[in-house]
Amino acid sequence: MKHWWWKSLAIGLLLFASIAALWTPLSPALVHVEPDRIAPGPMEVLVTGYNSNFSNAGSSISFFENDGQRFCPERTEVVDDRHLRLFVQVPGGLRSSMTDLQVGQLRYPGAFYTQELGEGIADRNCEEGHVQDGVFTFPNRSILYESIRNLHFHVPMWFTMIALMAISMWKSTQVLGNTSLDRDRDALAAVHVGLLFCALGLMTGALWARATWGAFWTSDVKLNGAAVTALIYLAYLVLRGSVPDAHKRARLAAIYNIFAFMLLVMFLFVVPRLNAVDSLHPGNGGNSGFSDLDLDNRLRIIFYPAVLGWILLGLWMYDLRRRTSRLNELLEQ
Amino acid sequence: MRTLATLVLLFFTWIDSFAQGAPSWLEESLHGSGKMNTVVAVVAIIIIGVGIWMFAMDARIRSMEERMNGRQGDEHQGEQK
Repeated sequence: MKHWWWKSLAIGLLLFASIAALWTPLSPALVHVEPDRIAPGPMEVLVTGYNSNFSNAGSSISFFENDGQRFCPERTEVVDDRHLRLFVQVPGGLRSSMTDLQVGQLRYPGAFYTQELGEGIADRNCEEGHVQDGVFTFPNRSILYESIRNLHFHVPMWFTMIALMAISMWKSTQVLGNTSLDRDRDALAAVHVGLLFCALGLMTGALWARATWGAFWTSDVKLNGAAVTALIYLAYLVLRGSVPDAHKRARLAAIYNIFAFMLLVMFLFVVPRLNAVDSLHPGNGGNSGFSDLDLDNRLRIIFYPAVLGWILLGLWMYDLRRRTSRLNELLEQ
Repeated sequence: MRTLATLVLLFFTWIDSFAQGAPSWLEESLHGSGKMNTVVAVVAIIIIGVGIWMFAMDARIRSMEERMNGRQGDEHQGEQK
């Protein structure tokens, strides 16, 4: 039982994080207005919401805001929870070409392209909607939408891979001390499992890129860095295969492995963050990570357990791999 | 190995039908798909990946078992002689 506690912890954390990552609803948002341009005169606007609850009395109260000046719809018709029809008399003389829409507490900035501009209007005192927001939700961002959940699956793959490669490098430094074949075996096992997580990270990343950037692969510095890292570690396996003498192989592989980890750090963390480099990937090339979406830590509460859970699972897989490798060697003797 | 590569390729073409590119507002509002399909595909890939690893580990242990049984068999034969 003594060796089981962290394995149980791994399963528990993964269970919690995966269920929470899939079950938590997305925050409501306004996703579409039809038509998307307004001109002075009577207009009928169809508003589409996502996870919205327009039937709730306070959630359907709306106003338009143009350069800080508000005007209100004359009549509101709730079609269903996701659709709202607004009948509005658009005043002449709006100042800005962009008019925002707010329904309840949901804001759609720049919802309407505004035609026939003027010097401004008399600001109307519009009623503001209110929504009781007590539900635990994930941030709802355009482009990302539901795929924001991938944060809890794609990113932990890389954390786990890095943890395993770090263990591998640590074992390799121990090999250099006394050419221990046991440590060499451990280093190899960690790289094997690390490469699995690398492959999963690449594939899940490619899918996420397809849904948000429109292509499985772009020649982005972060993506290419990850691919080069994978190749470096594949070359580690090739190098091992090409040296027949076990002790020589252990030493050579250990030296290569230490350099490989340095290159991993360079390609995944240093190069994509250089000022001169542009990157689509969040957290690189001057982009912020998801921390700006996560002001109230709703993603972190699930993200950190997910990372810990996956790392523990990776360690468990590494443990199985090195134990079977040891048994295999004993059998061959 | 070639079968595996073909399978992976087939899998990706299949999965592509789930992970549509950045959808237009029309798709967005008509199908109501908030890119949940991508999440499902991502989770599927991870489970399949770990599953393949489990099968590989299973095969590894099995081959060791077989060798062990073979060795024990040899020892038994030795005893009988």
